[in-house]
Amino acid sequence: MKKIFLFSLMSSFLFVSCKKDEEKNTSEDSSNGGSTPAEQYKLIDSENAANDLIIELYADSEMIEVGYTPIYVKVKDLNGDAVSNATVELMPMMDMGMMQHSSPLEQPNYNSTSKYYEGMVIFTMPSGMNSWTLDVMANGESVTFDIEVNDSPANTKYVGSYTGTDGESYIVSLVKPNDWAVGMNDVSFMVHKNESMMSYVPMDNFTMEMGPQMTSMGHGSPNNISPSNQGNGYYQGEVNFTMTGDWRLNLDLVESNDTIVSANIDILF
Amino acid sequence: MKKIVFIGALCALSSYGFSQDDTLRSTQNFKEVQIQGEFKVGDIDSSSNLQNSIDHLLSTTPGITMIKRGNYALEPTIRGLNAGQINVTIDGMQMFGACTDRMDPISSYVEPTNLEKIKLNTTPNGDQSGSSIGGEIDFSLMKAKIGASKKISGKVGAGYQTNANNIQTLGTVQYSAKKWALLVNGIYRKADNYYAANRKEIRFSQFEKWNAGANLAVALNKNNKIYLDYIQDEGYDIGYPALTMDVGFAKAYISAFTHKYENKLNKFRSLETKLFFNYVNHTMDDTKRPEELVPMHMDMPGTSRTFGGFSKAKFLLSPKHILNVKLNAYQNDLHAEMTMYPDFGSEMFMLTIPDGVRRTAGINVSDTWFVNSKLKLTYGARAEVNASDITTEIGEQTLTSFYNGDAAQVRYSGNVFAQADYSFTRKVAVFGGVNYAQRPPSLQETYGFYLFNRVDNHDYIGNPDIMNETSINTNIGIELKYSKVAVTLKGFANYFSNYIIGMVLPSYSNMTIGADGVKQYTNIDNALLTGGELTLNWKPVDNITVNSVNSYSFGTDDQGGYLPYIPPFKSINSIQYNYKMWSVKVEHIGAMAQNNVSTERYGEGTTPAFNIMNFSVHKHFKLKKDKAIHAQFDIQNIFDTPYYEHLDVLKIQRQGINFVFKTTFVF
Repeated sequence: MKKIFLFSLMSSFLFVSCKKDEEKNTSEDSSNGGSTPAEQYKLIDSENAANDLIIELYADSEMIEVGYTPIYVKVKDLNGDAVSNATVELMPMMDMGMMQHSSPLEQPNYNSTSKYYEGMVIFTMPSGMNSWTLDVMANGESVTFDIEVNDSPANTKYVGSYTGTDGESYIVSLVKPNDWAVGMNDVSFMVHKNESMMSYVPMDNFTMEMGPQMTSMGHGSPNNISPSNQGNGYYQGEVNFTMTGDWRLNLDLVESNDTIVSANIDILF
Repeated sequence: MKKIVFIGALCALSSYGFSQDDTLRSTQNFKEVQIQGEFKVGDIDSSSNLQNSIDHLLSTTPGITMIKRGNYALEPTIRGLNAGQINVTIDGMQMFGACTDRMDPISSYVEPTNLEKIKLNTTPNGDQSGSSIGGEIDFSLMKAKIGASKKISGKVGAGYQTNANNIQTLGTVQYSAKKWALLVNGIYRKADNYYAANRKEIRFSQFEKWNAGANLAVALNKNNKIYLDYIQDEGYDIGYPALTMDVGFAKAYISAFTHKYENKLNKFRSLETKLFFNYVNHTMDDTKRPEELVPMHMDMPGTSRTFGGFSKAKFLLSPKHILNVKLNAYQNDLHAEMTMYPDFGSEMFMLTIPDGVRRTAGINVSDTWFVNSKLKLTYGARAEVNASDITTEIGEQTLTSFYNGDAAQVRYSGNVFAQADYSFTRKVAVFGGVNYAQRPPSLQETYGFYLFNRVDNHDYIGNPDIMNETSINTNIGIELKYSKVAVTLKGFANYFSNYIIGMVLPSYSNMTIGADGVKQYTNIDNALLTGGELTLNWKPVDNITVNSVNSYSFGTDDQGGYLPYIPPFKSINSIQYNYKMWSVKVEHIGAMAQNNVSTERYGEGTTPAFNIMNFSVHKHFKLKKDKAIHAQFDIQNIFDTPYYEHLDVLKIQRQGINFVFKTTFVF
């Protein structure tokens, strides 16, 4: 009896102390989570260009997924030294047989700290019947990478194309990476107008109204901050996830009181 | 005095222990329900209370009204105050239910077999364990008696109730030696669905539980004793017809170590120090409900862990002054989560109490002053500090859903009180008192996250910015004790500032499927609660006792509307005839209608009046060698009257006619 009691009492105190330690560890982990050190970029492929430059293509993950995809290009000379003054351009292309189209992107800029040319491509659909290529041009000579674009996980949707009430075609995409947690989260989107198969223009003229919804239960969440335009087609706000599960973010793109596009992004965490 | 404080501080966690001593508290605002232990000769309750449920014992105590959600674990309220407004303790130990839907008030984790008595205080008295604005219910654990006249003694009992096919068996055995004693007890109870009037089956009202307890007492020397207590209580498959879910299991583990110093000859009368630890593990379950009634399957487990201690000392300052000092400190950790499994889509997870922790430390000081043979004054104060926080990353993340600030907070609360008793003669006494009290919001009221309340069909969200609830409480009463008749009339008025209640948040959408919206705990400017109790005990002739207990309360809010959870006028009247070893009792229980409700603001509906009749016959058989058999037969709700009480959630009808058989063997 005495032993049981003492044991229970002791264990209770032990319990407390153990738990504290764990908490500290997790909080440290998450504080590094936001910024990704360059070493963590994953090599997708490497090609030699006709001008003797070695072009290495990197991304955040070896598996490329539909949607907003930061792209990192390393350019090296024959000695293997990084070249910092090249002119690097990206050109993604989807070959659908009957037609070809490109996708929204941001051309790379050289980051002197990481020594990568950093750009971004929004892959608007997965590879499958058809295939994606990404041309990377360095100092006028280009190499072509075949890119396997995987679909996003089941019940998620990170990018969507919509025909607006103005007759124009728009692409709305979720800016990644995201590290979702229950509670308030920063969230960003990009909006592009599809002017032609090869031309996608970032749009800054919309007011965005965001309403999250838990699709399987039908409820929303309070205290969301609808994204506001940050320039270059970016919209940033805050979303409140009261629980884990399937969340749909309903996004209305409004221009002078008219809802031009009703888009939705689906998230699962 | 210095010495006491010093010792108390040394113990760091602590309270003083003395057996029930009327001089220490205002007797008139104090009520005991004796269950085991020393009884008055011929007290009929001596064997029957052991066989009664805690819920029954509480509900027949004047001033207590129960919130009913099923046939199990009714939640006590005191004079219109509930949950965080009152203190409920086990032998002075804090313990907190783990269920977010208030399915497990801690009164559900003790059984009469564990208890010596139930103590109800309606006003502060220097012995309280927290700064509550309402009263306090304490379940005093039965202690093994050292050096009892019988080496081995005990009780074994069994009972059966026809209505819900309810069986119970119990036993308690004490081994008493010169220097030590051991008491063990156990009870098993099981019931099927009960039937309301006209054999209407109330589905999902079943329960099953067992409870076992042990107490070891060791006398170190003449003045020092130590006690070890352990109670394990496990309930399974408990139905809550008034709620959307049932309970898979509800388990509690309660342990305590107590040291008691007592010296009736010394000015330093007593010192009691207790260290305790308890843990509650509770899991809701909806798998037993028909699928069409369950919009989505959910798992909702919760845990509550409390540990701490207290030290209380009693010091005779002079023949006219008794000083009581109590220090206590404890920590409570609450965790409650919910996982939902939709038919289509991914499972969902959330914390409903996001890993809240509260650390509390407090001190009580009170003095009882015997001014003269007629006047007794008791006055004192409690000061308390509460530090609350959220202990996990995911918990803090969850809080950001509705609160921008820091989760950690420190609050101060307490009370000051003064109570006077004046005896005109031995037969006529008046009493009255006033106290100012504050209480901190509970962890649920601070950090709760979509806690569903079936009464108003709203999800509740906590409010870290909420202010302490404060109250000015006055009480007054008169007590008449003649040889044939005793009458006590008590009245109280409780004026609140910053009364805590849920208010609708229009911009929030409810999480619970089918709920009407979301409320957040908020302070309203003021509220007023008044009421009283009248008890009458009349012995017209030697063998006949007439008893009447009447209570009433009335509450209004800042807008003049009516407060929720306020019981209407209720009356329990009985006439009992004792002859030799027989006792026959006829009882009437009735309540007036409660039409004082604010349906729009608080979601409560009105409740009609009811009257029911009970009948009971007891027979006590005296056997050789101090042994006895106590047999009891009851008919409850003789006329099979359909009824429910105002605090019954969802207005589900109570039990119809019920035949009860109970027998206890005392050895």
